[in-house]
Amino acid sequence: MASAPKRPLVTRLVIVLASAVFVFALLVRGARPAELVRPENAPKEGPSIEQPMQLLARGAGLRVAELDRWIGKEQLPEWKAVRGNLFALEDCPSTMDWIEGAEGQRFERCVAALRTGTREEAFAALVLIFQLARATEWKPGLRGHTEHAERLGALLEGWLRDWSARSANDALLVGPSLSALLLYGRALRLAWRAPLVGYNAGPYERARTLLDEITGGSSHHSPFGEALAARHPRAALGLGSEADMLKGLEEECAVLYPKLVGDCEDG
Amino acid sequence: MDASHELAARRDVPSERAAEWLIALGALMVACGGLLLGVQVDANRGFSGTGFAAFALGAVVALVSTIVRARGTQGLPRDFPGAFGALAAFFGLAFATGGVFAPGGPWMLAEFAALLVLALRRPREGSRWIGSGALWLMVALFLFRLWITYQGSRNHWQVLSIPIPVLSWLPFDFLAPIQTIALGSFTPFELGLPPAGVDFPITLGLWSGGFALCAAGVFVVQLAVREHENDRVHDVIHTLPRPLAGLVERLLPEDEWEALGLHGQPTRLLCKRIEALVRERAQRQREFARAFERAQLLALRHNDDFSGAIQGALAELDATAAKPKDPSG
Repeated sequence: MASAPKRPLVTRLVIVLASAVFVFALLVRGARPAELVRPENAPKEGPSIEQPMQLLARGAGLRVAELDRWIGKEQLPEWKAVRGNLFALEDCPSTMDWIEGAEGQRFERCVAALRTGTREEAFAALVLIFQLARATEWKPGLRGHTEHAERLGALLEGWLRDWSARSANDALLVGPSLSALLLYGRALRLAWRAPLVGYNAGPYERARTLLDEITGGSSHHSPFGEALAARHPRAALGLGSEADMLKGLEEECAVLYPKLVGDCEDG
Repeated sequence: MDASHELAARRDVPSERAAEWLIALGALMVACGGLLLGVQVDANRGFSGTGFAAFALGAVVALVSTIVRARGTQGLPRDFPGAFGALAAFFGLAFATGGVFAPGGPWMLAEFAALLVLALRRPREGSRWIGSGALWLMVALFLFRLWITYQGSRNHWQVLSIPIPVLSWLPFDFLAPIQTIALGSFTPFELGLPPAGVDFPITLGLWSGGFALCAAGVFVVQLAVREHENDRVHDVIHTLPRPLAGLVERLLPEDEWEALGLHGQPTRLLCKRIEALVRERAQRQREFARAFERAQLLALRHNDDFSGAIQGALAELDATAAKPKDPSG
């Protein structure tokens, strides 16, 4: 009696491999998605700045001195001087007017230096920018002076380009960087809609470019875009709007900072 | 050891090995397709499963389709390659069907009902596991699944948002709630999307690749199983002396074996079935030859019309029949 024809080794191997993949294809369907642990809810390691969002709110002046211990020795004198000037600023000057003065130039140098430092220093730079937004006037007004809002937007844009990607999974920076994005959306939307008739296209196009870069496409969010969608879904949804992609950002900004509209009312 | 092994040893080995190889390859394609259809990628590049619900419903559709297709035939896989091929084809159909269902909610059940109705209809093409109507419906459902997943990935929780003419043209924010109509609202929970949101481009690639692999794998496995069954019949016929086997193969051409019910039969029944078929066809041949001789077609006139053409063809048959034949063919 003849024996059964022997299958080639390759065929047998492919059959075994296919069987293993079949089993795996069934088991993998039960794989559960990873739990979503937001960075700010993760266990803390080492000392950190407590409640960082308070330092972006109206009462920032009450705690801003706490940041001194997080600033490097080289930047510390400048930081102290600039925060002293900025938090003592009164009379609500126009943003551009103040920035182009001596104190403003010092502020710009300090912000640029802090932005390239540690995460705590970057956060301190953002605190300064928010205080600038509170203490100076950048509302375009009836005459449509958009340069102030655009300058504020440029400061926020620089900070977001540097830190948005890194902040997505950073317990300290994720909230502040999203706040920076919301304020950026508000400032540039004001500039975009400033003319009584028609729109000022420049700020809107700049905003579109930045938002595409840091949040990703509408269906392929970057981690920062996902952080935005998780915390401010309406703002994230609005980014896909053809008509007004900044509307959602402004609405969310109005919830967090209702009086921060560029007329010093929030100071 | 049964007779089939002895038979297999005598026949040409390369063709059988080609069928087995194709079954293995098709099964691997189906398995890889099932794997791709079973995962989704979230925004953090994490993988998670698509759940068992859609696959379970797909398996029911595949089972119904298999039963309907097998109704009236007594054929079953009789050896390991045949059984493995049948299993792979079943899983391929279950994976592909489960892969086209919406991930949850009432849509999934409506789609299941529609596919089940189509699966209950026996396909006209005998060797196909699923009819053309069901196939096209599956493609449409797959596109629908991709669309709602795309909408979900953009946080648009409706199938379609239709702007109302005139109202939607007015640039007033307070009109926003009444400027559009949302059709087919759903929730992320219904879609089974991961908490971090789905990464649509990567997931689209995985699912499309998986669906294509499953469909192609089922096709390859079907062809290979058919070829493998033909090999089994060929083995049995070639246990006969060579000239006799040639005659039997002329009486029972290979492309009719599946339709004649020779696939999936045990060897003993297969022998009896071939014997009966040969007897029946030989008898028919003899009856035809006798009728042909009685007709004396050569005496009839040859016209250029339809009857003339038929007479001419039969006259050629008569001339070739007069020559001595080589039984081995």
